[in-house]
Amino acid sequence: MENSNSYSPYSSSSVDSTKPLPSESSVNLSLSLTFPSTSSQRETSQDWPPIKPRLRDTLKSLRLRQRGYNTALFVKVYMEGVPIGRKLDLSTFSGYESLLENLSGMFDTSVICGTRDSKHHVLTYQDKDGDWMMVGDIPWDMFLETVRRLKITRPERC
Amino acid sequence: MNKALKFPMNYFPEEVIEHIFDFIASHRDRNSISLVSKSWHKIERYSRHQVFIGNCYAISPERLIRRFPCLRSLTLKGKPHFADFNLVPHEWGGFLHPWIDALSKARVGLEELRLKRMVVSDESLELLSRSFVSFKSLVLVSCDGFTTDGLASIAANCRNLRELDLQENEIDDHRGQWLNCFPDSCTTLVSLNFACLKGEINLSALERLVARSTNLKSLKVNRAVPLDGLTRLMSCAPQLVDLGVGCYENEAEPESFASLMAAIKKCTLLRSLSGFSEVASVCLTAFYPICENLTSLNLSYAAEIQGNHLIEFVQFCKRLQLLWILDSIGDKGLEVVASSCKELQELRVFPSDPHDEEDNNTAVTEVGLVAISAGCPKLHSILYFCKQMTNEALITVAKNCPNFIRFRLCILEPNKPDHITSQSLDEGFGAIVQSCKGLRRLSVSGLLTDKVFLYIGMYAEQLEMLSIAFAGDTDKGMLYVLNGCKKLRKLEIRDSPFGNAALLADVGKYETMRSLWMSSCEVTLGGCKRLARNAPWLNVEIINENENENGRMERNEEDEREKVDRLYLYRTVVGTRKDAPPCVTIL
Repeated sequence: MENSNSYSPYSSSSVDSTKPLPSESSVNLSLSLTFPSTSSQRETSQDWPPIKPRLRDTLKSLRLRQRGYNTALFVKVYMEGVPIGRKLDLSTFSGYESLLENLSGMFDTSVICGTRDSKHHVLTYQDKDGDWMMVGDIPWDMFLETVRRLKITRPERC
Repeated sequence: MNKALKFPMNYFPEEVIEHIFDFIASHRDRNSISLVSKSWHKIERYSRHQVFIGNCYAISPERLIRRFPCLRSLTLKGKPHFADFNLVPHEWGGFLHPWIDALSKARVGLEELRLKRMVVSDESLELLSRSFVSFKSLVLVSCDGFTTDGLASIAANCRNLRELDLQENEIDDHRGQWLNCFPDSCTTLVSLNFACLKGEINLSALERLVARSTNLKSLKVNRAVPLDGLTRLMSCAPQLVDLGVGCYENEAEPESFASLMAAIKKCTLLRSLSGFSEVASVCLTAFYPICENLTSLNLSYAAEIQGNHLIEFVQFCKRLQLLWILDSIGDKGLEVVASSCKELQELRVFPSDPHDEEDNNTAVTEVGLVAISAGCPKLHSILYFCKQMTNEALITVAKNCPNFIRFRLCILEPNKPDHITSQSLDEGFGAIVQSCKGLRRLSVSGLLTDKVFLYIGMYAEQLEMLSIAFAGDTDKGMLYVLNGCKKLRKLEIRDSPFGNAALLADVGKYETMRSLWMSSCEVTLGGCKRLARNAPWLNVEIINENENENGRMERNEEDEREKVDRLYLYRTVVGTRKDAPPCVTIL
């Protein structure tokens, strides 16, 4: 559905430049408007119908999942030496910092990335080529695209 | 004649009068008794513990505290209702901080705080947690501006916390450790709801907290709590009355499932169920053992549960009073609800396909609505999203249910007429307002002319809140409402052809109302300026998201015939607010 202005017969003079322009402007004052043809690429209105953000997001995620887009990004996380791993949804983090904070809390120890240290646990990841790499070298968005699993190494190993 | 015989109550000692006032809880009644006499005003002031402020800009924190120094429980509402639908910029206002600051400085003994659509910061939460020793209850609905760090302060510092209820808030999730911040000595929790949090939490901290909170009655977890986690929680808290379920794996192992079901069976006090987002249908079946006890069921986020599973479950919930569900239940499902749930009082049916992107026909229609109205004699509140409606159906519903207090109908396609007769829905809504004499809240939709507003003005005598979208033909429509609905408090209008003539006809009316919202209507800048001049006790706000400081300067020289994108006006005793962002101009 296009922006709400396209439904109102009274929109012809006040066009809000922040919203996308309707492809079909109508000045028909009394009858209901016909709709443009369905297109999977059309922009959906953010303010109609009047549903709250949480429901809107839930339905949007469901739609994306059904179409095969992965909104969640669950990866397995292992602590070296511990056989049972955890699962983490990386899409909920804004960057490396929040990921590390969360892991530190989850595994009850200090997890860092980058610098080799005899005291701290260092975070590594397996990328889509199957190689084990240090976390933190590439931009976060790129990291999200290539990461397959995470491993928290014991201090001496690195 | 002896004065004491004529006006006995004036001669009671203050403590007695105060004791009598204690029985009067309603804010309106309290406001009335405070007007009786000076002494009653004074007694009422000092004995008022609960205050409700529907618009945080109608009064200042300092004045509130001066009048009610013994305040213990405060409810504050910030942004206007349409903010829920992205029509109000984030930075518009409604900041909590000045309130907490003032309450803290005045050493008010605050115990409860309920906020709706306010901007709350971590600093405010930290100050709150440190300032009020007896603080017991924090309820945040549709708020934003804070993170889990703020929650950590509340958990750590509020020694007597009984309730932490987070509904539909936008919370920045920093760490999963805020639950750890509840000290081991904290055992007073009665209600904990963090369903809206998006990130991970520390499961073992949650389990320990639940295990030691022996008074816990309500627990609503977020998607981070998996099936076996939920089983452990329910095993430590079989006394739960209200449960919000998180996220299940799609294929639960038979053993885990059996353990869950065993834990659920022990929760014989469970009456209310919600959550279920990202939950597969099969997991709903784990709750069969207790479904007959349920009085409240909210499956409005359960987008993955198919209609037939919803129907199978709901048909056994014979004691249901409240049902919130997605339209995937279909008309057939609503017919089952109508025949099974005879105690139903409130129904909300939400759209599972709001933008009509799927080619399915499982949404609900007028058939479902009529079935519910015929089958559920106690129904008094309804919110119904549907794809089509007819006048005949609405007239039937009006006949079946004269007791509606809240009637909100949202036909997804704006301006859609009666799908059988192609006429407007004026007669249908007219029947509703004529029959439901106690109607307090109404939302209209579909193709509507000025006539529906004539009916509303004529018959909706108790109406307090009206929401209008894509309706009406001329200013007369809005005038019918303003002139007719004597008890109107909130009017919100979008995309309708009402202009200056309607806006300016009776300026005094706005003093009797809390607020008026008009967006994408025909009111102009000139009209709003005139209104602001004639009504100094109103704040008349123009919201334009493209504005910055320079824009604001230019605008003063602009054409007064320019249409106003968004207008929000409200009565206030404290004049223009000082915290408006650049996109808001206060006239």
